[in-house]
Amino acid sequence: MGRHDRLLPGLAALASVAGLGVSVYLTVVHYSAIPLVCTSSGAVNCERVLSSGYAVIAGSALPTSAAGIAWFTVSTALAVGQLSGRGAPLLALLQVAWSALGLVTVLGLVFIEIVMLGTICVWCTAAHALVLATFLLAIAIWQSATESARSMNTRPMRK
Amino acid sequence: MRKPVRRTPGWLPAAATIGAIALLVVAFLGIRWATTPPAPAPIDSTHAAAVLSTITSLPPSELEQVGSGSAANRLKPVSGPALLGPGGKPLVFYFGAEYCPYCAAERWPIIIALSRFGAFSGLKTTTSSSSDIYANTPTFTFHRATYSSQYIEFQAVETTDRNQNSLDSPTQAQVALVNRFDASGSIPFVDLGNRYAFSGATYAPDSLQGMSWQQIADALQQADSVQAKAILGSANLIAAAVCKLTSDQPAEVCSGAAIQSIEAKL
Repeated sequence: MGRHDRLLPGLAALASVAGLGVSVYLTVVHYSAIPLVCTSSGAVNCERVLSSGYAVIAGSALPTSAAGIAWFTVSTALAVGQLSGRGAPLLALLQVAWSALGLVTVLGLVFIEIVMLGTICVWCTAAHALVLATFLLAIAIWQSATESARSMNTRPMRK
Repeated sequence: MRKPVRRTPGWLPAAATIGAIALLVVAFLGIRWATTPPAPAPIDSTHAAAVLSTITSLPPSELEQVGSGSAANRLKPVSGPALLGPGGKPLVFYFGAEYCPYCAAERWPIIIALSRFGAFSGLKTTTSSSSDIYANTPTFTFHRATYSSQYIEFQAVETTDRNQNSLDSPTQAQVALVNRFDASGSIPFVDLGNRYAFSGATYAPDSLQGMSWQQIADALQQADSVQAKAILGSANLIAAAVCKLTSDQPAEVCSGAAIQSIEAKL
């Protein structure tokens, strides 16, 4: 695997680790008395979003950010797996599917923030942006892997 | 000769994804805008006084008929030294904010319940924040309002106005009460003499969406309306808890079958 081939999975791993950090922070704040670093007025109000009924996974006491920890952990593992080079095409496809699932969930959460609550949580938006970044990187990695496979299949054999 | 195969440009999926998401966000904003009820038209002090007069003079028979209605009993027994006001009477303490829709909803039953034991003055109309859930819920504010009663005392702290500008500052003792009995920090928080306390609203504010103060007052005169079941049911819960503080005084409020029945469950 060349340096260029490692760039995109490396960025995907970086985005996933950053998202993991945000999710861990929000989960720690949920379970402790640590004040949340965020504005609390107008259209941006993390406190209002994170104290709403939508901030916990339905039917449980688990914060939604705990699901973020799980998602970003799997995403990090997939990106690191591709960096190692073993089973990269399959992992690239899995990363696309996993990121698509994450993106659909994010769209649902954005709907809740904008339509149901009428306010935005900056930390949540940061995590959402990292999911989107992971999705775009996953598509690019998958395209690159497909290109590589195609060029290998069409390269003329040396006499 | 074979035509060269046209490949999808690498940037196209990313651009399409970002474009689709941008369109969705715009659509979400449109839905939010279309579904947010406009703030009810402000009413002058004469009409506000008429609304207050209506809701604080509802016939006891109607309150009896509603009972606990559709109210959610959030009152929890608490222990601690009896909470007394400066006059030595049992103190009811409210902690909330004008932007908060749940506070907006809960002020209606608090006003109705406490008006059976005394009288408010200086209540003014306001609405909850226009950018929060249950936007523009019509209500009254306790900011600068006073209350007098021969049975109980009432203190209220509205920390911010509907645009989240600072209003009242709680005393150290009030902060200690909130920290002690409202660990989650939810508002509204109400402490009834340190015998009962609750946080959050006892009914969902959506039943007031799109209504004016007058329409709510009119609905409260119909015992079978959604608003009467929610607000009067909540008022009866609060009144029953206050009756516990006043040793069932006054009798004309506390001896009713509905209040007695709720008291037995508290």
